[in-house]
Amino acid sequence: MAGDVRPAPPGDRSEARITRLVQISFIAALGALWWLATNVWGMSPILLPKPQNAFSELLDILGSGEFWPDLLLTLGELAGAFAISMTLGVTIGFLVSQSPTYVRVFEPLLAGVYAVPIILFLPLYVLFFGLGASSKIALGATISFFPIVLNTIAGFTSIDKLYVTAAKSMGASPTILLRHVLIPGALPIILSGLRMGFTVALLSIIGSETIASLAGLGHRIVNLAESLEIGRMFAYIVFVVVIAASLNAVVSRLEARRSLDP
Amino acid sequence: MRARAPITGFMARHPRLSQLATIALFLLVWEITARFFVDKMFLSPPSRVYSEIDRVLNTKGLMQALTLTLYELSAAFVIAVAIGMAIGLSVGLNAFARRCFMPIILLLYGIPQIVILPLFILGLGIGPPSKIAFGVTHGIFPIILAIVAGVQNLKPVLLTSARSMGANRWHVLRYVVLPHMMPSFFSGLRLGMTGVLLGVLLAELYVSTAGIGYFTGLFTQNFDPTRLLGLISILAAMAIALNEFMRTVERRFSRWRGND
Amino acid sequence: MQKQDISVQIQNVSHSFGVEGHAKHVRALLDTTMDIHRGELLALIGPSGCGKSTLLNVIGGILSPTTGGASVNGKPVNGPMPHDIAYVFQENALFPWNTIIENIRLGMLFQGVPKADHEGRARAALKAVGLSEFADHYPGQLSGGMRQRAALARALSLDTPVVLMDEPFGALDEQTRMVLGEDLSELLSRTGKTIIFVTHSLGEAVFLADRIAVFTARPGRIKEVIPVDEPHPRKASFMTSDKFNGLRNRLFELLHDEIRKTVNLRSGSTGGF
Repeated sequence: MAGDVRPAPPGDRSEARITRLVQISFIAALGALWWLATNVWGMSPILLPKPQNAFSELLDILGSGEFWPDLLLTLGELAGAFAISMTLGVTIGFLVSQSPTYVRVFEPLLAGVYAVPIILFLPLYVLFFGLGASSKIALGATISFFPIVLNTIAGFTSIDKLYVTAAKSMGASPTILLRHVLIPGALPIILSGLRMGFTVALLSIIGSETIASLAGLGHRIVNLAESLEIGRMFAYIVFVVVIAASLNAVVSRLEARRSLDP
Repeated sequence: MRARAPITGFMARHPRLSQLATIALFLLVWEITARFFVDKMFLSPPSRVYSEIDRVLNTKGLMQALTLTLYELSAAFVIAVAIGMAIGLSVGLNAFARRCFMPIILLLYGIPQIVILPLFILGLGIGPPSKIAFGVTHGIFPIILAIVAGVQNLKPVLLTSARSMGANRWHVLRYVVLPHMMPSFFSGLRLGMTGVLLGVLLAELYVSTAGIGYFTGLFTQNFDPTRLLGLISILAAMAIALNEFMRTVERRFSRWRGND
Repeated sequence: MQKQDISVQIQNVSHSFGVEGHAKHVRALLDTTMDIHRGELLALIGPSGCGKSTLLNVIGGILSPTTGGASVNGKPVNGPMPHDIAYVFQENALFPWNTIIENIRLGMLFQGVPKADHEGRARAALKAVGLSEFADHYPGQLSGGMRQRAALARALSLDTPVVLMDEPFGALDEQTRMVLGEDLSELLSRTGKTIIFVTHSLGEAVFLADRIAVFTARPGRIKEVIPVDEPHPRKASFMTSDKFNGLRNRLFELLHDEIRKTVNLRSGSTGGF
């Protein structure tokens, strides 16, 4: 899987330092290029604001606290969508995983629907639920449902039969089996499904706010783009990217910690 | 042992048929809901969507928009593959480059790109260029990651063995590295296609004054679920067809993996 | 012993991994010197980590020793010598994306054999190991034992005077090893190649080798070289003979203390199992 790629482990310490240096200079070069393009080479501020302007806009946004309503709305939509997809995804995934027959019949169907870009449902949801929060929650829940349900199925079916046999031979009741073998065994894969679901839910909610909405962080960025307040828009982009990155980092951390629990 | 319900027994004997039955059941529920329980301004039964699909295709300008979307998809895919392969190989084949740039690539991949979509439109306009570019930035990362992973997971003993038999650098690249990365290359292509589809469709839906986005907006505002569902079905069919095509190609090139 | 009878010469080879003074510094092999005769089957046996694979890799030119060096047919080893040495690795080193016969042809392509000879030599090598019918199978479709036969066929097709084998049957079950061992004895006695192989199995060493080099625990050096005076090809009946058992017991005694040392060493350093 492509998602499994991690940077190679660093060699000795001096090489790690060179690596870090190359990374920092690369990012610094990008920053310098941005500064030069806007301040020296006269690139149009409609395409790219000056970095110092974007920065002062960011300070202004953070200082005034005007981002709170949009942020809370987006996070609220995210929480709603994720609660729905988690409940449905884990429940349905567990039920399907109960019999190899169900897995054989339903897993390909679910995987097949997952291959469709679900963003296509957005116009439909807008028709059903309007431009408000409900269409965002519906879309976020739909999109994040699939990685969660598929990973839950994979989690429960991937458990080594040997563990189940061993537990049964020691007289484990179905409840004990579930509590002490099946759930701990399936948890790492389910958690990675939940993390993937969380990430795509966040993406699709910001995405649907961008495409069709009345409020929220995505909508704010579009509004600023349409009124050509590019400096402020950049500041918001940075803001959203940082929020998204921190949320993802928190979720990944949670996943890593729970997966390592014995 | 639990007694099996008769329905489970049927499923076990006819998994294919059960899948079709599930789809049929879904369509039936949809049909009944749409006919008897939901206002026809919001939902159309599948039978009507199907029988009126020509009305969708006859909508003035829609065929052109679909063709244009297909063109954007192919252009974005070709560009994403070309650039993604170049970056993937140059970063993947060199351990130092991998350590330097993989964290940056992963960082960029983690950015919710949708927030910069308005920038693409501002910079490149509402026509194909912005949509192609947005498709490329979505498709390129899975391709890079797949190629880097493909180059990386090579068993060292295969390289040692090739060298012990006298293989030169070209031999190693042509007969060891390249065939080894073929399966991940093709799964990268498939994931890249998924990304390109997402990027192009996002951009298409975002621009409401032209292309697909114009028509979805139009049908939504006219409360015309028949045509909206028709258009979405066509696009979904397009996506599934492209995906299946990539999967077939992928299977074709990883036959040797079959019984490993 | 005349000079031209010596096929592989090992001169004061020692090897360390990591930088001296560093925590990860490991002395794997101490000052080893040995001559291997043309057509001889030499087994290297010893506790895990005793440097026997290290020595094999030094001879094969895959590893540069810290001191000393090896020479093959009078030529000093500075890297892989595809025309002199063929390798059979412990893990399955067949290319999984090529069929068995493609794997064998590819080896010859790497070595620089003219294209016209590929097919004939590949078929001959497959026949020698009894895999003719599986030429067009992928490695993934064969059992572990068949894969190692195929790897052996690839090595044979390269037509080198020396073949190195790093625990070629290490991953196989006891029965398969026995059958492969018999076949190998039969096959190698016909080819007259010089074979150096690493093994963990006492029986395998006695059954196959002309001489057995027993290594001490890490840092490894050769503790004793035991000759097995028995003509090739050896039959299964050799395995039940008193001579076989005598040699096997001798090996067991020599190794027992060394293996004990490594086990104690490890349980001491990691705080027990």
